[in-house]
Amino acid sequence: MIKHIVRKEFTDVVRDGRFRWCAALVGALLLVSLGHGWVQARQAQEELAAAQATAREHWESQGEKNPHSAAHYGIYAFKPRLALSFVDEGVDPYTGTSVWLEAHRQNDFLLRPAQDATSAQRVGALTAAQVLQHLVPLLIILLTFGALAGEREQGTLRQLLATGVGRSDLALGKALGIAGALALLLVPAAVVGAAALVVGSPGPGASALARGAVLAGVYLAYFAAFVGLSLAVSAWARSARTALVVLLAVWVVNGLVAPRAAVDLSRWIHPTPSAVEFARTLEREIANGVEGIERPDRAASTERLLAEHGVERAEDLPVNDVGVYLQESEEFGNRIFDRNYGALWDTFERQGTVHEALAVAAPLLAVRTLSMGLAGTDVEQHRHFATAAEAYRRDLMRRMNGDLAENSRSGDFSYVAGPDLWAQAPRLQYDAPTLGWVLNNRILSLLVLGLWLAGAVLAAAAGVRRAEVA
Amino acid sequence: MSQPGRLSSSMSEVEPIDTRAAPTTVASNAVLEARALSKRYGDVEAVAGLDLSVGPSEIYCLLGPNGAGKTTTIHLFLGFLEPTAGSVHVTGLDVAAEPVESKRRLAYIPEQVMLYRNLSGLENLEYFAALGGRGSLAPERLTDILVGAGLPRDAVRRRVSDYSKGMRQKVGIAIAIAKEADALLLDEPTSGLDPQASNEFSELLGRLRERGVAVLMATHDLFRAKETGTRVGIMRHGRLVTEMSTDEIGHADLERIYLEHMHE
Repeated sequence: MIKHIVRKEFTDVVRDGRFRWCAALVGALLLVSLGHGWVQARQAQEELAAAQATAREHWESQGEKNPHSAAHYGIYAFKPRLALSFVDEGVDPYTGTSVWLEAHRQNDFLLRPAQDATSAQRVGALTAAQVLQHLVPLLIILLTFGALAGEREQGTLRQLLATGVGRSDLALGKALGIAGALALLLVPAAVVGAAALVVGSPGPGASALARGAVLAGVYLAYFAAFVGLSLAVSAWARSARTALVVLLAVWVVNGLVAPRAAVDLSRWIHPTPSAVEFARTLEREIANGVEGIERPDRAASTERLLAEHGVERAEDLPVNDVGVYLQESEEFGNRIFDRNYGALWDTFERQGTVHEALAVAAPLLAVRTLSMGLAGTDVEQHRHFATAAEAYRRDLMRRMNGDLAENSRSGDFSYVAGPDLWAQAPRLQYDAPTLGWVLNNRILSLLVLGLWLAGAVLAAAAGVRRAEVA
Repeated sequence: MSQPGRLSSSMSEVEPIDTRAAPTTVASNAVLEARALSKRYGDVEAVAGLDLSVGPSEIYCLLGPNGAGKTTTIHLFLGFLEPTAGSVHVTGLDVAAEPVESKRRLAYIPEQVMLYRNLSGLENLEYFAALGGRGSLAPERLTDILVGAGLPRDAVRRRVSDYSKGMRQKVGIAIAIAKEADALLLDEPTSGLDPQASNEFSELLGRLRERGVAVLMATHDLFRAKETGTRVGIMRHGRLVTEMSTDEIGHADLERIYLEHMHE
């Protein structure tokens, strides 16, 4: 029974010229955005790899100098792009992908394409994720709004139900038939996406296919929820026109209103300081210290060293008190950074939780969060890399200050280190979070998306069961 | 309280009937049966205490003006509407209790057969026949049914968007035939058909009758009711005001009786 309904719906949809045009347009946009994203991601990864090699070369070939000067010379760290980043570039264009690591400072990230782009570029940029999150649901609405309301208006619903077909069979058959038509559009895109992952993926291949499979599942659940929701509205609406208007309103709220409102609401509940305020606070605390984090005093530091080593003059110390003091200053700065950046990241995290919870009002919020998470381009994975880069910076500074402290003496300003020391500093080895880490961080979004799917299926079943015929 | 309505021997006077009582002719093995059936919309009683029974090989024509309750009665048999009171049965099955199974034993042709425009006549028939429980019939068999229902052979594989209303109606008839149901519900089935097509339709009903199918047809067409029907019932304001056997009356009698009831 169901297979006949599926086949009829599929045939009916595929023969509809409106579907063919819309599907061709959305399919073309999807393929183009996938291809464009892949090329861009690959180029960016190649550029990052080249820049990273250059930065290392500059570091190692900086010549002989005081290690603390080398610490100020610094080195760039580049966030690697994960393989799926070509599907969803997430917050990367806004947060940046490279950071300059230097003494005393935890710098902001650089390379923010959104900052450099013209307004036209920002509006015109279309990623595969945007096509999947916005245009495919619109296509689903256009395919489904008349599924029951249209049949009722045309009079075919009466004849259909007079055959004795069960309403649940009818709903399932229609949903599967529409899904089959959508598959004509989505399966080729999925094949292209999988091929792009397998053949020369732009980033580390680890767990790329597993992430891709989960990402496909997330989008399938999202589309299924939209099919169910559209069927439910079509069953309840008095006319196909009403169903279309209601569903377009849902689409606008889901795709345009809810994301903006969620950002504003989460920021209102958990406010964050402006960039200027944040920088001023950091500057003030670095200059003066705060309660519990006192700024180190150079004289006191030297006094302590003299007492520890039982000597009276700094020149007699077995270590350079300047190097020790510089490291103490570094650690003081680190505590101030941890305090401020930690609070900022925690606020971002709380905002993210509010954002995820608000997905109960719009499934796009859950899908967007999951999509960015699986693509490795969300705020949490940015924080993951930023933390790793900062840990690397601190290790590098400790090495430089340690060398200064151990290999020179107080007042010896002529001490210089050479390429051996620079080469001893390890390269930044960054392991991106695992799929399990991502999913564990996104349980709320998975749960809300699951609720949307279950709710949409139940609503469709109830709607079709109660749909008036006459 | 008046007695159940029947025609007098002269058929010139009609006694009013008490529709709450048993129907005048109760088929012992009724295929379609309404028992004290009522449907109310707010203050409007669309069907009021209707008792009706149609047996095998009977063609029962429901006559009445617009709003008399004919289509509502058909929809109640189809389970599209829930009765306010009473019940409807198809081959003994209570439609409210067994909506799917009861519909499997019915075929239905509305006033305007609506089909899927993107499918051909053959594909529409194949779809409706499959949903009606006939499984997958061979295309040749389906084509024969369509041609037998009067659709030109060269139109069978054309998309329905090119069909005239008459051609769509013939596909509707083919759908009903293919279902091989116990009962056929018709709601103004010949409305808009040309005389030749109407005659063909009447012949078709005759053939179905020979196969034992029970037919309930709502119509305004007194001539067709007399020619095709075995019994005729006249509805007004949701009530069955009279019913009679078509063997007992002539065309003129039926028209006169009908008009008398309409002017009461």
